[in-house]
Amino acid sequence: MGDGIEVFDQGAVRRHRERAAAGLGEHDFLLVEVAERLADRLSDVKRRFPFALDLGCHRGEFGRALAGRGGIETLIHCDPSPAMVAHAPGPRLAAAEDRLPFRAPAFDLVTSVLSLHWANDLPGALIQIARCLRPDGLLLAALLGGETLGDLRRALVEAELAERGGASPRVSPFADIGDLGGLLQRAGLAMPVVDADTITVTYPDAFALMADLRGMGESNAVADRVRHFTPRSVLAAAAAAYGAQHGDADGRIPARFQVLYLTAWKPHESQPRALRPGSAEASLAETLEPGAHSRQGHKRV
Amino acid sequence: MSDTPAAPDDDGPDPRSAQTVDAKLLEILVCPLTHGPLRYDRARQELISDQAGLAYPVRDGIPIMLVDEARALDAPDADS
Repeated sequence: MGDGIEVFDQGAVRRHRERAAAGLGEHDFLLVEVAERLADRLSDVKRRFPFALDLGCHRGEFGRALAGRGGIETLIHCDPSPAMVAHAPGPRLAAAEDRLPFRAPAFDLVTSVLSLHWANDLPGALIQIARCLRPDGLLLAALLGGETLGDLRRALVEAELAERGGASPRVSPFADIGDLGGLLQRAGLAMPVVDADTITVTYPDAFALMADLRGMGESNAVADRVRHFTPRSVLAAAAAAYGAQHGDADGRIPARFQVLYLTAWKPHESQPRALRPGSAEASLAETLEPGAHSRQGHKRV
Repeated sequence: MSDTPAAPDDDGPDPRSAQTVDAKLLEILVCPLTHGPLRYDRARQELISDQAGLAYPVRDGIPIMLVDEARALDAPDADS
């Protein structure tokens, strides 16, 4: 259908969310935790954001975590899954991250909690977000990073190689922290900051971890995954290997989620900006060591 | 062939939901495909993009701005 490479099967992404919508309350630990952390970051910004959009809002966890902070008067909830957004409080709509239906510019703030890692076209989604931000508007987003569930991925690949003599992508690929700053800038956003933290959750076993991922609507949606069920023998071997390598004294296993936080602003003349190269009026060497390295005839304008 | 019903209560959407689109939201909505204007057909609960020739459904007051959920305007009307 599309000309570009479709990494994620968007139909599958939406189906996973539609299916997860009703029972998400039992699997929203990570979502609520990251929503709280993002809300804390927002309340550190000494600004008011009267008109805001929460993109990929799930059931409105970020709005609840915010609890009135951030000077937000209207928070629009938007999720690609109609069933998911039906659980969020009003004004709300269903829309895809890379096909946003908003007049430009519309928002003082765009937030997103654990959703942008599903965008097929993350650069395109960032461009669309930048487009609908007002000048001096803020993008504040959290998404899963490339180190998420690395141990689980290795266990699955090893088990599948051993059992079947080949491996298929079982856990979705994620963005790397190094790429994101450049993507934000290319989207036309200023003062980009990207940082990461890791949240470790322990589970009784790998099956419980995988059930929780499904419950969050975070099942694998890699488009070229083999379209048959993973044989029980592969899962059992992976679960056993994961437990043996990573289990603690009580037999519980850790799952590490790397969360990347993005902050960037829509350009505005009030923001600090780097000067053009060559436009300096004082010599750096002279400032650091007055007199020592001053060159003869240093040009001053 | 017939349009799937909106299934308003299969997973318990917020019962307080108004049946019309929020006015502030309506003000900023455009067609996701063309970024052109939308007409709100309150009787049919659809947001119509004349440029794209698509009608986006509104279910329980929630605009579904997904191209693959939209009705093509020249297609036969599934509701009547």
